[in-house]
Amino acid sequence: MLHINCPFCGLRAQKEFAYGGDATVKRPEINREVSKEEWDNFVYMRKSPRGKHIELWHHISGCRQWFKVQRDTATHEIFKTAKMSEEIV
Amino acid sequence: MTYISSLQNIHKHGTFGDYENKNENELLKLKEVKNLIIYQIVKYKNSTADVSKMNLDGLRLPDPLKVKHNSSTRILWMGPDNWLVISDKKNIFDTFKNDFTDKDFAITDLSHSRTIIEVEGNLAREVIKKGSPLNINELGEGDCSNSVFHAITITLDFISDNPQVIRVLALRSFGESLHHSLTDACLEFGFKSV
Ligand SMILES: [Zn+2]
Repeated sequence: MLHINCPFCGLRAQKEFAYGGDATVKRPEINREVSKEEWDNFVYMRKSPRGKHIELWHHISGCRQWFKVQRDTATHEIFKTAKMSEEIV
Repeated sequence: MTYISSLQNIHKHGTFGDYENKNENELLKLKEVKNLIIYQIVKYKNSTADVSKMNLDGLRLPDPLKVKHNSSTRILWMGPDNWLVISDKKNIFDTFKNDFTDKDFAITDLSHSRTIIEVEGNLAREVIKKGSPLNINELGEGDCSNSVFHAITITLDFISDNPQVIRVLALRSFGESLHHSLTDACLEFGFKSV
């Protein structure tokens, strides 16, 4: 079980959270012609890296906020968590 | 306001579990808390209202993971810009509707949508520990938190440390399941259902 530091509630057990996928995916700009390929990439294509990865988590059984987690996908080590308005560098 | 309790058919009064040869004061007490008025208050993201100066039934809004209360009303922090008001005042909404205007706040009456079970006794924390991953020893009177209890999403409201009283709130439709899980967790200690 992971211990995840919710930016609002503090350290909590993974049981209280839901995984939300890659946090680095950017939606194509609004009010612009979007090609099918670009849309496919946005909706489906993911990198699935081994190593450091920035992902979204939802504190679904807590404060119900979405936030970012920088985690190593091989070791599960969590380096940083941040609010959606903050950047992880 | 009265309503039909979601625990009406299962919350039987009596003494259960391993209660023999135990002093009554040692036993856990389990009680359903009914007929309270519950409102959710959410501040809109684009609102600039300064909640630190706002007042609800004479109470300020609580800081993260805290409760503000007086003898009839409790305000629980639920998340950023999100609070739960629990009161036995039937007209509680009338007392704050002028300050919490619909320009800045979404206010929802949840009175009928929660089941509340109160656990009282020296072993109340032990009962919650059996189903929740929270570090509950760090929490006490004046704290509140959302978490899970045997996979049911719950809100814990720490009413008192002496005696230990903890309220467990869950969605009404999970009431029976929560009651089952809580009574099951209480059996080994012996409990009195009141
Ligand atoms: Zn949280």
